[in-house]
Amino acid sequence: MIPIRCISCGKPVSAYFDEYNSRLADGEDSKAILDDMGLKRYCCRRMLITHVETWE
Amino acid sequence: MEIEVKSKDENEIVFIVRDAEVPFINAIRRIAMMEVPKIAIEDVNIVQNDSAMFNEVLAHRLGLTPLISNLDGIEGMEMANECDCEEYCPKCSVSFTLSKTGPGIIYSKDLVSTDSTIKPVYDTIPLLKLKEDQNIELEVVAKIGLGKDHAKWIPTTVCAYKQYPKITFNEDAEVNYELADVCPRNILKSDKRSKKLKVQNIEDCSMCKACVRADENDYINIGFEEKNFIFRIETDGSLPPEEVLSKACDVLSDKADKFITFSKN
Repeated sequence: MIPIRCISCGKPVSAYFDEYNSRLADGEDSKAILDDMGLKRYCCRRMLITHVETWE
Repeated sequence: MEIEVKSKDENEIVFIVRDAEVPFINAIRRIAMMEVPKIAIEDVNIVQNDSAMFNEVLAHRLGLTPLISNLDGIEGMEMANECDCEEYCPKCSVSFTLSKTGPGIIYSKDLVSTDSTIKPVYDTIPLLKLKEDQNIELEVVAKIGLGKDHAKWIPTTVCAYKQYPKITFNEDAEVNYELADVCPRNILKSDKRSKKLKVQNIEDCSMCKACVRADENDYINIGFEEKNFIFRIETDGSLPPEEVLSKACDVLSDKADKFITFSKN
């Protein structure tokens, strides 16, 4: 499961996780989604970009 | 001291403080992070947890979930360790229940609060996953606390200041137009007509000195204004940034009052 908050700054990034994934599946550009959701720091952006879901 | 608000929205405020001292600004910053009270889940009583997630991992995730703790919500509530009750009571705590059966993902919106004003800030935080016929049943108690005790009680995410950047040019040296391309934040703009480099959006300057390193004949100089600060407070949504700032100032003035009463006696 994705961590609740960004590990570095503490922003609650998990709240954006489902929206990010569904928009990514719709073929939207990752950068455009993150900018639109207001995740402007690279610490928060890597939380979503690099997350690997291992719990099926 | 002068304060000018640069930008403000729901979760973030940026303002400029002029003619202040570093120790004072730093005191505000540290108190805003560590000593502004907010509410967060402290105790978790797990009745049933069939999921693959361990109880303590789940409890940790619940603790980090931000809860709305603005003035309307927590006004009049007692700090958990200052309340005269034994464990917890309605005066110092709010309880939530979570009871679900799988399959599916359990979100923060599934937490049912006993107090209508205090609930999770975001409805979409995934807490755990349940498979077919798995149950989760728990009761949690949220208490008011301070950031110095646990990170879940820190109301801010980014809470930082920097001194106001100052960019000066040595008029005697030869103008180096290439510096404009070196700047990673596009602060510098080459103006060949007036034979100068122009400075734009100076507040974005991170003082990385990439331009100084690329400059061989000491044309540019990056410094800062000692007494002017750019202060940024971003919160996790649990309370508005202005409230964090004003509460931090209250705490600081209470601390100063203690010194005053001490020195009078």
